[in-house]
Amino acid sequence: MAEEEEAVAAARETSLQLPVSTDYKRPRSKKVQELPILERRNWLIHLHYIQKDYETCKAIIKEQLQEAQGTCEYAVYVQALIFRLEGKIQESLELFQTCAILNPQSSDNLKQVARSLFLLGKHKAAIEVYNDAAKLNQDWEICHNLGVCYMYLKDFKNASEQLNYALQLNKHDITFIMLGKMHMLEGDTDKAIEVYKKAVEFSPENTELLTTLGLLYLKLGIYQKAFEHLGNALTYDPSNYKAILAAGSMMQTHGDFDVAMTKYRVAAYSVPESPPLWNNIGMCFFGKKKYVAAISCLKRANYLAPFDWKILYNLGLVHLTMQQYASAFHFLSAAINLQPKMGELYVLLAVALTNLEDIENAKRSYEQAVSLELFNPLVNLNYAILLYNQGDKKGALQQYQEMERRVNKIKESSNNTEFDPEMIEMAQKMGAALQVGENLVWTKPAKDMKSKQRNTSSSKPLTLQQPLGSNQALGQAMSSAAGYSKSIQLSTGGSRQKPPSLPLEPDVCTDANTGESSFTPEVKDK
Amino acid sequence: MSGSENKDINEVNSKWLDAHYDPVANLYTFSSCVALADLNGDGESKLVVGDLGSGASNMKLKVFKGTSLMTENTLLDLPTGLVAFHMDQNEPRTPAIAVASGPFIYVYKNLRPYFKFTLPPLEVNELEQEVWSQAREDKIDPMSLKEMLEGIRNKAQVPLSVRSLKFLMLEHQDMESFVNMHKQQPIRRQTVITCIGTLKKNMADEDAVSCLVIGTENMEIYVLDPEAFTILSKISLPSTPAFMDVTGQFDVEFRITVACRNGNIYILRRDSKKPKYCIELSSHAVGLVRVNKNIVVGCTQETLHGCTQKGKKLWTTYLPASIVTMGLMDHKSRGFQAVLVGLANSEVHMYRDKNLVNIIKTQDVITSICFGKYGREDGSLIMTTKGGGLIIKILKRTAVFDEKDTTPGPPVAQSVKLNVPKKTKLYVDQTMRERENAVAMHRAFQMDLYRLRLTAARAYVKALESNLTPMSSSASEPLKMNAVVQGLGPSFKLTLNIQNTSVCRPSMNLAISFWYDEKLYSLKTSFFKIPLLVPGLNYPIDTFVECLSDKGISDVIKVFVLQIGRSNPLLTAHINMPVSEGMALC
Repeated sequence: MAEEEEAVAAARETSLQLPVSTDYKRPRSKKVQELPILERRNWLIHLHYIQKDYETCKAIIKEQLQEAQGTCEYAVYVQALIFRLEGKIQESLELFQTCAILNPQSSDNLKQVARSLFLLGKHKAAIEVYNDAAKLNQDWEICHNLGVCYMYLKDFKNASEQLNYALQLNKHDITFIMLGKMHMLEGDTDKAIEVYKKAVEFSPENTELLTTLGLLYLKLGIYQKAFEHLGNALTYDPSNYKAILAAGSMMQTHGDFDVAMTKYRVAAYSVPESPPLWNNIGMCFFGKKKYVAAISCLKRANYLAPFDWKILYNLGLVHLTMQQYASAFHFLSAAINLQPKMGELYVLLAVALTNLEDIENAKRSYEQAVSLELFNPLVNLNYAILLYNQGDKKGALQQYQEMERRVNKIKESSNNTEFDPEMIEMAQKMGAALQVGENLVWTKPAKDMKSKQRNTSSSKPLTLQQPLGSNQALGQAMSSAAGYSKSIQLSTGGSRQKPPSLPLEPDVCTDANTGESSFTPEVKDK
Repeated sequence: MSGSENKDINEVNSKWLDAHYDPVANLYTFSSCVALADLNGDGESKLVVGDLGSGASNMKLKVFKGTSLMTENTLLDLPTGLVAFHMDQNEPRTPAIAVASGPFIYVYKNLRPYFKFTLPPLEVNELEQEVWSQAREDKIDPMSLKEMLEGIRNKAQVPLSVRSLKFLMLEHQDMESFVNMHKQQPIRRQTVITCIGTLKKNMADEDAVSCLVIGTENMEIYVLDPEAFTILSKISLPSTPAFMDVTGQFDVEFRITVACRNGNIYILRRDSKKPKYCIELSSHAVGLVRVNKNIVVGCTQETLHGCTQKGKKLWTTYLPASIVTMGLMDHKSRGFQAVLVGLANSEVHMYRDKNLVNIIKTQDVITSICFGKYGREDGSLIMTTKGGGLIIKILKRTAVFDEKDTTPGPPVAQSVKLNVPKKTKLYVDQTMRERENAVAMHRAFQMDLYRLRLTAARAYVKALESNLTPMSSSASEPLKMNAVVQGLGPSFKLTLNIQNTSVCRPSMNLAISFWYDEKLYSLKTSFFKIPLLVPGLNYPIDTFVECLSDKGISDVIKVFVLQIGRSNPLLTAHINMPVSEGMALC
């Protein structure tokens, strides 16, 4: 113990007379020549920067710059990085340019100048600076960023070249994501899927990649794979909002409303103000025939996104089901104002108008629907029924024939088409009423002709709940004509909900999911 | 921190005992500047801390024993890193302390200064040397010196010295004296140490002789001989090292893993002058720890990556907050290794591979972590906080860390009930009413809508016809007017801003008149002529309004802009006068 104390005492004494202390003291002392090393606090600046302790970092930088009269390159560099994080991009650009003057040999400085230019939206200037940097030192980052710049300039050829080159240099998830995005912008979904497949192979636990790949499969209608990838994404991150919404909408399609709801609860916890989420929850309730809850949720969705016509569409649909035709009319006309190009909306509006006994406008609405919707036979069937009920047999016959023509066309384009039994039944009744005889259209008399026909009595249109046709619909609406085959099977005699909106960024697919709706209004006096 | 709160934290982390907490220990330090070592060879480990003081002054080398400060040595500059190592075979086997600071390493033995190592100076640009020697002989004046140095800076591979850089920043009048002051001295370029580690020389024993491994600002790694302090090996890196981990023996085989400032990790091996493997991270590394043969890196993007020795990525874990520091927990007697991650949310997470096995809640954000033998206790965890506190915890002997993954299972949110808005009975009643009377409601609505539209259209046409709007749309005199009322009353100042919106035609022969209730208001001038209006300019015209009523009522004042010789006004503004508050108060 005594020894130790001695040692301590000795240490204290000696510490005051360290042999180094005299010549170590910097310029202020007698000798002027020894200037402080500019980089002496770089490590401390770096340490505080990566610990995200920006206040301390800025204080040290300020001191360092005062000491070095602004010549300490790294201090300026980190100051610029912090400015950029704070959103002062112009200031950061100026500082990075200062760095590039202090050390013109460093490609890193040029890269940061370019990055700031990129963030300011000056893509062309950024590309030039990146090219200068590449002359000094070619690496993954430069190629990747060049690719992104070209992508924003819509020069897809150069973009894909640079991004692929970046991938050759080094594989990064972000490069895969950008390349995939670029292919999506080009409209080449298959290539995008290829890219994402490779990306998932490379980093199998990246939920963003998994979700995006799942959504792409969904868009192409490959549901098995879509569900697989979305499921994987949810395994790694059970609260991934996008994956939950996409997987939930698939579950809804298959009528698993309860499972979908459990998933949505997780999403509702993390993103409580998402319009598509509340829309989907609303349609889940609709599927479970809890109409009041459905309306509540849809109204919340509408409140959150008043200009989303899909929510208005669904609201219109639910109100039709609830026989609140006057309200339905308002929601539908609002939807039409926002999306005037969709036939289904006009059909729904026509159904509402029919029930509001405004036959003239209903007819006009049907006319509009027929002219916009060139493939769906249900539009014509519904119109025929209305005309027939009004006693216009000639017009009804015309629409009926048009319907037959469309049905045949669909059959030609694919052989395993299944039509909704309710629609077939209704069509057959209509055919009988119009005395067009045994109609030959329905070669494949629907297997189960469950008489779903409800009240043929007065003003109650048949709106039967249809498992959300969303995703399939989503696929086809995109691939239009040829892809119609399958959707017809979906479009049963019930009015259809608007597909749950998918949580993708708009450029990926949200506007794709146009489900078609079909209606079987009552056949009155038959 | 109150006692009860401490207790709560204890209960949550039943695996640790709180040995000591001093919130005002006044320590500003990082994981690289903390070490545990048996400095006196008495079997009791001491805590050695390189304290950065205020960040500019008061730097200290502090040694703690138990809960108290044992010794304190003043440091001359900021300590970058600190290691305890055996530098010779002498008995008793007490380790020396090496403190890296600026371009120097100070070696302490028995806590006494023993040796100072200085980094070798860097190569100086020959042209620069040449230019300065000319300056010394007064062959060139400061201005041409400046020009030449600038030329060198822009082209040369070897960067300029501090002196030249400083000189280039000077104002014209200071140059001469600067040159005179410095020209006699030789030019030197120095670099600084950024990280320090140790590497066993030729034996793997715990107390074997170790070499010092240092990373420098100019992107190099040096391995130093422990006795002679000569440079045994020098390796260049593509970027400045920030964190370093060393394993192996110098004479046999070793690996140095370095996280650099460019966001890459380089793995160096014996006998290779260049990095053997490179891991490109997508963000900066905040900490680097080696567990057995794998490397665990914490990134600024709140992620933790596991990699093999050869740079292959094994796993990634996402953390709830950004990482501040990392440390290795190596409990040798139990053969237990884990990574300790200090987070910005004042928690320390313990990971075995990618599995979270324990969370320690702390009173403040942890800036340094060190686990090892302290005093005579093997499982001690030493942490310092951002506020300068010192926390010492001891691992309970009964503590067992579950091997199984603790993360999965459905998220808690799944069982939270959905907040579906409720509907009232009134709503249901209204729904019923709508069902019964939908047609009538619709018709009534449509009817009213038409009426509304008609009324609106009529009003609009009327306004257009009688120039009641504050915008004149007539082609000959396009004018715009707005009015501002200032004051609380009973006197108000009424400012009319009139603007001629035509492209080039000035307006002439205009006048303004007012219409108001003479019982309520009086205007000083209720008619005046407007001067010629130059297009585009704004003409403010003031008048004063006196409110005559004390009943707290207000009315509308109408303003007409007239053209002399026309009966219809060009435009009209209705000014809703505010209630006169001044009168009400009286």
